[in-house]
Amino acid sequence: MAASINGVLEQTLQKSINSCKLLVVGAGGIGCELIKNLVLTGFHDVELIDLDTIDVSNLNRQFLFRKEHVGKSKAEVAKESALKFNPNANIVAYHDSIMGPEYGVDFFKRFALVMNALDNRAARNHVNRMCLAADIPLIESGTAGYLGQVTVIKKGLTECYECQPKPTQKSFPGCTIRNTPSEPIHCIVWAKHLFNQLFGEDDPDQDVSPDTEDPEAAGDAGEVALQSEAKESVAGGVARKSTRMWAQQSGYEPEKIFNKMFRDDIRYLLSMENLWKKRKAPLPLEWNNLPNTAQDGDHSAQLGGIRDQRVWSICECASVFAESLKLCKDQLMNSGDCGTLVWDKDDEPALNFVTSAANLRAHIFHIPLKSKFDVKSMAGNIIPAIATTNAIIAGLLVMEGLKILSGNIDKCKTVYLNRQPNPRKKLLVPCVLDKPNPKCYVCSEKPEVTVRLNTTTMTVHTLEEKIIKGSLGMVAPDVEIDDGKGTILISSEEGETEGNMGKILSEFGIRNGSRLKCDDFLQVYNLNINILHVEKLKEDKEFEVIGDIAELQAQASADNTGPDTNSQEDDDDDDDLIMEDEPTEITTPSRKRKANGASDADLSTKKLKRSIDANCQEDEDIVVL
Amino acid sequence: MESGPAEKSKKYDRQLRLWGDHGQAALESAKVCLVNATATGTEILKNIILPGIGSFTIVDAHKVSGEDIGNNFFLEKDTIGKSRAQVATELLLELNEDVNGDFIEETVDNLLRNNSGFFQNFHMVIVTDLPERTLVTLAAQLWESDTPLLVCRSYGLIGYMRMVLKEHTVVESHPDNAIEDLRLDHPFRTLTEYCNAQNMAEMTKKEHSHTPWLVIIYKFLEDWKKHNGEMPRNYKEKSKLKEMIREGILKNQDLVPEDEENFDEAIRNVNSTLVPTKSKPFWILARAVKEFVQNEGQGRLPVRGSIPDMTADSERYIQLQNIYKEQALQDIAIVTNYVHQLLQTLGRPQDNISDSDIKTFCKNASFLQLIRCRSLAQEYDPATANHADIAMHLEDTDDDDLVFYILLRAVDRFYSQYSKYPGCYGDSMEADIPKLKACVSKLLQDWGITQNVKDDYVHEFCRYGASELHSVAAYMGGVAAQEVIKVITHQFIPINNTYIYNAMKQSSITVQM
Repeated sequence: MAASINGVLEQTLQKSINSCKLLVVGAGGIGCELIKNLVLTGFHDVELIDLDTIDVSNLNRQFLFRKEHVGKSKAEVAKESALKFNPNANIVAYHDSIMGPEYGVDFFKRFALVMNALDNRAARNHVNRMCLAADIPLIESGTAGYLGQVTVIKKGLTECYECQPKPTQKSFPGCTIRNTPSEPIHCIVWAKHLFNQLFGEDDPDQDVSPDTEDPEAAGDAGEVALQSEAKESVAGGVARKSTRMWAQQSGYEPEKIFNKMFRDDIRYLLSMENLWKKRKAPLPLEWNNLPNTAQDGDHSAQLGGIRDQRVWSICECASVFAESLKLCKDQLMNSGDCGTLVWDKDDEPALNFVTSAANLRAHIFHIPLKSKFDVKSMAGNIIPAIATTNAIIAGLLVMEGLKILSGNIDKCKTVYLNRQPNPRKKLLVPCVLDKPNPKCYVCSEKPEVTVRLNTTTMTVHTLEEKIIKGSLGMVAPDVEIDDGKGTILISSEEGETEGNMGKILSEFGIRNGSRLKCDDFLQVYNLNINILHVEKLKEDKEFEVIGDIAELQAQASADNTGPDTNSQEDDDDDDDLIMEDEPTEITTPSRKRKANGASDADLSTKKLKRSIDANCQEDEDIVVL
Repeated sequence: MESGPAEKSKKYDRQLRLWGDHGQAALESAKVCLVNATATGTEILKNIILPGIGSFTIVDAHKVSGEDIGNNFFLEKDTIGKSRAQVATELLLELNEDVNGDFIEETVDNLLRNNSGFFQNFHMVIVTDLPERTLVTLAAQLWESDTPLLVCRSYGLIGYMRMVLKEHTVVESHPDNAIEDLRLDHPFRTLTEYCNAQNMAEMTKKEHSHTPWLVIIYKFLEDWKKHNGEMPRNYKEKSKLKEMIREGILKNQDLVPEDEENFDEAIRNVNSTLVPTKSKPFWILARAVKEFVQNEGQGRLPVRGSIPDMTADSERYIQLQNIYKEQALQDIAIVTNYVHQLLQTLGRPQDNISDSDIKTFCKNASFLQLIRCRSLAQEYDPATANHADIAMHLEDTDDDDLVFYILLRAVDRFYSQYSKYPGCYGDSMEADIPKLKACVSKLLQDWGITQNVKDDYVHEFCRYGASELHSVAAYMGGVAAQEVIKVITHQFIPINNTYIYNAMKQSSITVQM
């Protein structure tokens, strides 16, 4: 067959293909396919940016990479591989984060079109804002297993990436994690926290020791008093020391850590008798006296005997625990004095540590054990990814791009890829692009958002990190209080407002009805935040972002009618596609093990909404996986 | 450089989560053949080589041309004039060191003539860019030997795929929105005992609101059946049952109903729970299950052994879970017995079918699929062609992508007559339009269809000049490779049987031709 595109595409379109400059953000699964498609469609001028390096688990689909490239920059290697096939193309590769200050509005304005092939929401939010600020059309894409999606975003014409609220991450009450786990996932979260306590950055929200303030444990006032007294002297006098310091002092001795975590702390939990009136009490484990559970190993189906897919016995867990503890400790020592480790599902010792610790804890609490394969999926929020879906989506991406370049952006569609033809026999579902949401807190005329929080307990640091950056997606915010005095609360200049960070919002006069003016210089984005003071939020939340006031009112009336159940139910919905190319820490752990439906272990990982949850509302800390 | 099992499970981690180790094993032992290393062809191969197909063989007598270089990622510039089969094989092999590949520089016609058993050696044959006459001959032979065939092409802005499966069985069809298998209509003994032992009247408020909905529906169904011994059948009766359940919600001192989420769940689940437990005992491989159904199962399939999430305390949720699990294990044991008996009668060793296969089969018993595609011979013979559907689609102006099927058939006919595709050489376009139009008319006439195809489409197809756009090829490469994987792993349901993609509208249809 002839290869020429002469007859198929109009002359003017071919000209713009040859001359226009494109930005591709992400050189992963979709990115590799996209680069190939662009080069072979005749694009000559492409810039490619990706922060990541190549991992073995990329090789089943990211075909521009080979085994010998593992550890190298994705952007650089993708560029080299693509140039082998079209040496005339002009590809610029950046091994960098698109959220860096060097990639400002002027950078974006150089392109005719931006194509996203990203794997996380933070970067998607950011590129969305940059393209809105630069007024450049953006094609957004994502895949998850067999599902995929492509959409077009253009300022003023279509919805932006943030016009519709996205589902939030699932969290577990702290007392469930620390005191009364009932599902494998609770133990896995705990084990990840333990990893961070021992090797990672200190985070007080990730405490792993028994929670003495568990409201359920408190029978009456007297007991509470007793407990707070007991707190001082519990578990070998280590309760008040940080787990990290304690571990360092004990030389990361496996036996000591094991006996503290799986014996002493459990014994302490047992002393909180109220917790075990209606549930089966945990059984402490002793390093020198481990039960023989080898027969329990057949939880998992006989899947070819691969070690990762077999559930370990308790003795195996203990020996893997000791071994991985030592390896992680060595990594930590090698990282220098103040170094920390970041938990990574693809790091063997880190995954072994979490798998063994989670399973030891699961055994203690009579919870079914999980294979390493399953733990990896749950702890790492792994989203399956295959070559075919990426190929399909990258093909669709280019077709949308051609429409934009030929001046037909109005003909662009949001296209959804189904797992199999739907009842109407459609594998693809093209939908008309939606109009911008006039109340969007990102792309509307005067962006505005309402946040509910407790002004008397929240620090400026939390406001900046968790709300303004974490939830509202700013990168380098300046925040001024709209109090007529123009008090600067947060400055993007280093050091200018350091002193404010530990202070409480109310110290600055922020109270119910206060207004904060936020400005992100990089994103060319201004946002007014209205503060609504509340003493407490349901489900132990620290804060709640509400798009506009109508939504707030609707929610308020819903609050009166009953408990919130939404967050639990949307999780498993396959139609509710989360635009992810690759795993990140964003989605809930429920999207997993699709292929392992046959495994027995499946039964036990289902979510149980346990009675304890209702009682945990007093608890302060929220655990986020 | 062979990579060890650990390395492999790392490399394939993200896909093992979709089709499992057994799906991967099937893929790794499969041999496929690609006819013609066109852009579409190599894109398909790329997408099955990356996940680790066992081996591939490319059959292609063409030499690499300048046009190939323009749209095919696996043919480099300095290879013009060399064997297309060889160059593509070499570059494709770089994608995955665990995959074997070879090539044959030979036409399909010659192979069919001189080496008649050649194509039957493969688990699947993938064909691109083959003239109609050769394709029909090859398809007939593959049909005879029960070898799956996939035909795929990218033609201008149109993609086409045809699956030809004489008979294909799927155990793990991974259904969307499967109805749970709970047997509340025919509760087994242990379930009955368990539910009867639950006394809701004596429960505390908390126990009451955390009683699994399964138990609640069971209880109210028992009450219901006391009236006339029958299950609620129609909408009205089901609504009545729901009302009964609602009445069962605890009330506070002021007679206002409490918030009992488990009761809401029970009400929501009434409809799906009352779908009768069905069995479809007609699969060849399901003979043992058939025996079970006829005997121990009393007309019903083995219990699947899983329950959905529900508001419940852990203790009772796990108890219920175990009840279903135990029942499933019992049923599997019975089926296993039948399997062993059957194997014995057939003179085959017991380990011919593994325990895990039996288990998988039982768990999927209600999702088993049998796909029988129409043959290409049936499609291409005007007497057995599906002209009724074609005529119907032509009526429907909103859903007109089927017109591209007609045009693709017409350009093939054009090729048979003129040994070239319409519009292939720039100056011939005007002259080709009436010729292609004639081909369209002849086809419609053969099918006895009176409607006509708009001239615009004919012009458009001449304009395409049979060009293969890379992005369309890449798209079709993804779609087709996914179908190949479905067929080889015997998981998920393959498309039956024709798929057409319209890149202008980003729309697609699936039809049975």
